[in-house]
This record gives sequence, C-alpha cells and structure tokens, in this order.
Amino acid sequence: MTQIRARVAALAPFLVAVALLAGGDLLDAVGKARFQSGGADELLYYPSGLMVRQAALGYETAAADVAWLRGIQYYGEHRLTDQKFDLIGHVMDIVADLDPAFIQPYIFGGFVLAQEMKQPERGLLLLERGRVANPENWDLVFEAGFLHYVCRHDYATASRYFTWASRLPGHPEYAERFAAFASQKAGNRGMAILLWKRVLATGNKYMQEVARRELKRLGEEEQR
Amino acid sequence: MIRVLAVARNTVREVVRERIVLVLAIFGAALVAASQVLSPLAMGEGKKVVTDFGLAGSSLLATLLAVFLGSSLLHKELDRRTIYAVMAKPIRRAEFLVGKFLGLWTTTGFLLAGMTLTVLAVLTVVHGETPWILFGSLLLTVMELGIVTAFVIFFSSFTTPGLTAFFTVSVIVTGNFAEQILYFGGHGDSPVLAGMTNALYWIVPHFATFNARGMVTHGIAVPPERIAFAVTYSLLYMGALLTVAGAIFERKDFR
Repeated sequence: MTQIRARVAALAPFLVAVALLAGGDLLDAVGKARFQSGGADELLYYPSGLMVRQAALGYETAAADVAWLRGIQYYGEHRLTDQKFDLIGHVMDIVADLDPAFIQPYIFGGFVLAQEMKQPERGLLLLERGRVANPENWDLVFEAGFLHYVCRHDYATASRYFTWASRLPGHPEYAERFAAFASQKAGNRGMAILLWKRVLATGNKYMQEVARRELKRLGEEEQR
Repeated sequence: MIRVLAVARNTVREVVRERIVLVLAIFGAALVAASQVLSPLAMGEGKKVVTDFGLAGSSLLATLLAVFLGSSLLHKELDRRTIYAVMAKPIRRAEFLVGKFLGLWTTTGFLLAGMTLTVLAVLTVVHGETPWILFGSLLLTVMELGIVTAFVIFFSSFTTPGLTAFFTVSVIVTGNFAEQILYFGGHGDSPVLAGMTNALYWIVPHFATFNARGMVTHGIAVPPERIAFAVTYSLLYMGALLTVAGAIFERKDFR
C-alpha cells in the first residue's frame, strides 16, 4: 500500500505537468485561430524567402531591415557603376517575405523595376504583392497608378488606381486631386510634372534624384 | 512563499553582482550609435529600423543572459556547497528551485524592461515619437523569457551548466520552428513521422505566440485578449516545467 502511494506521489508531478501543458496547448490552439494571420502554407508559396524567414528565429522584421539596407546599398553601388539592378526584385521579394507589412520595399522595388530597369510589369507585380498583403494601404495603390501613368502611359488604368487610392483610409488630399486630373488631363505633361514633384516629397533620396532628372527632362521637352 | 521570495531576492543579488547593468549601458550606447548610423541609410525608414533592432536586440540579449547566467546558478550552489547551508533551513528543495527561477526571471525581466525603455527614449529623442504600444510587445517577451528561464532551471536541475545552455538553446530554436514542424510532419507520407512531429509540436513551447515585435513596429497595438492568452499559456507552461524540475530536484543526490 505504501509502495503504491509512493509511486502515485512520484507520478503526481508529471501528471500535473501534463495537465498544465495540455491546458496551455489547448489555449494556444484557440488563440492561434484568432491572432495569427498567414500560416506555413502561405510561406511555402514563396520558397526563396522561406529559409530566410525560418533562420530568423522570430526576428523576421529585424532581418527584413537588414535585407532592406542591403537592397539600398546594392542599388546605390550599381547606380554609381553599371546601372544594372538585376537583383533588386529578388532582394525586395525577400524583404517582403520577411515583413509583408513593410511598405517601402514594394514602392522602391516597384519604382526601380519600372522606371530604372524599364520593366513596369515586374514593378507592378511587386506592388500588387504588397497590395494583397496590405489591402488597406493607399500608398501602394497610388504608386501603381503612378507607374501606369509615367511608365506605361496607360492613363485610363492610372486614373482608376488614383480613384481607388483616394477611397482608401489615410489617403492624402492630393490622391483625390490626381484622381480628378488623371481622367481629365490624360497624357498631359503638366500632370506628369505634378506626379514627379510628389516623388520629391518622399524620404528616399534615390527616388528624389530620379524625380529631379525626370522633371528636368520634362522641362526641356516643354521648352522645345 | 516568504522562503521562496528570500531565495529569489538572494538570486537577484547574485545575478546583479555579475555586473549585468553593464549590458544595459552597452545596449543603450549601441542603439544610439546604430540609430545615428543606420537611420540616414534606411531611406526614410530609420524609425522602423531602430524599433526593430532595438526590440530584437533587447529580446536576444535578455534571452542569452537568462541562458548563460542561469545555467550555472544551481551548479554554483552545489559546487561551493552553499546549498547544504540553505537546505539546513526549513525550506523544501522545490521552493528553493522556484526561488531561483523567480530571481533570475525578475532580473532578466527588469533588464529587458530597461532596454525597451532605452528604445523608447531613443525613438522619442531622435524621431520625436513615443510609441507606448511597445509595452505590449515587452509584456509578451517577458512571458517568453519566463518560459526560457523555466527551461534553464529545469535542465540545470539534473544536468551540467554546459548541457543546460545547449539544451535550452535547442528548445529556443525548436520552439521557433514549432509551426513548421507540425506542417512538414503532417504533409509527409509517413504516419509515424506525422505522429512524432505532432507529439513534438505539443511538447515544445510555441514561441510565435509571444512575438508581437513586427506588429508594434507597424503601429498596431497588441490586443489585450492576445496578451491574456499568452500570459496564461506561459504561466501554465512554466508551471509544468517547474513542477517536473521540482520533482527531479527533490530526488537529486547532492554528493
């Protein structure tokens, strides 16, 4: 009898532990359904970023910043040398894998792909990826409109995007102005100048430099 | 409880004696330097970079301190034979262990809070914004730190400091892979492997539950309900670990 009691006493802490663990796991299972967006299925869709994300061990957003800084450095280096930015899309894809809510990489990556590499479709694809991950963000939609206007010269689509951006929360006043202008002044050089002037207000010095160059070109065209 | 708190108080003194305040000073200096160097390179994303690096750095440092300071805590008591003096007093071994746990967790928790306050101070001074929502993430990281500390105490109740550190780091890595372990195991052909990975999933801590760093960086406050879930989960998990650790320590031969 004493032996059985001793055995039960020895087992008791482990049974308590199992009960507590089960309680915790049950709670976590319930909580997960409520709080965690995106699962492993979504990650498998982006195999290149999957490994980086897993290796980050919970520090994905800091890893995204490292990749972002590396992307900027890559762009800066090639801008001074061969003007080839072949890997910029790949780097920004990795940043997006690591931190899908980080907006700037979609905008900067899309801008470089469309404007500098003359691949607007790829740029728009990156922006679309950002939009799917951040459906309420007006900036990404507006940027897509911008690329449609200045790179693809597709004014009707640009107008649709500007209108869309002007209906999203947090949009600035100029989104509505561009939405109105784009339909009235399709192809108008003045409209393009206004759009490029908006880029000057961004915090990205590389985008500002391209904007200055484009504004200079448009100014010269106007004088001719 | 008084006995447990007395051990905890002594553990805090013992850990503080290791000059961990230096870590706080170094962290602060590194963060200020990083914010000055990285902000201009981040193309308008300086605030995000400082927040991310600050939160990740503080969490990583506190975790490493918990692992490396904690893994030798019990061993030192045995090595110096001070444990005999403690055990001669009216205190149960399990209470002694819980006291050690509370002392270590409190110290690393306060250190983590100090580092988070440094991040807030840097953001306020350099970027002119004070994102109070960082405290939501801090609370979750403190609870995560509690599980890590409980693992340190659990492993050190039956193994050497080196192995304690190794096992705890392994748990941290596995805990961060918990979702993937379940996913890949469940999508293989082998039902045995699926069963094993499923079992492993339920045993290892789900550290993703405590990761709200990305959320607060993007300006989203951690919902109180999520905090309540995570706190309860971690308390249950810590309870489980300390119960087993206490049972093992009660049977440990100190000779």
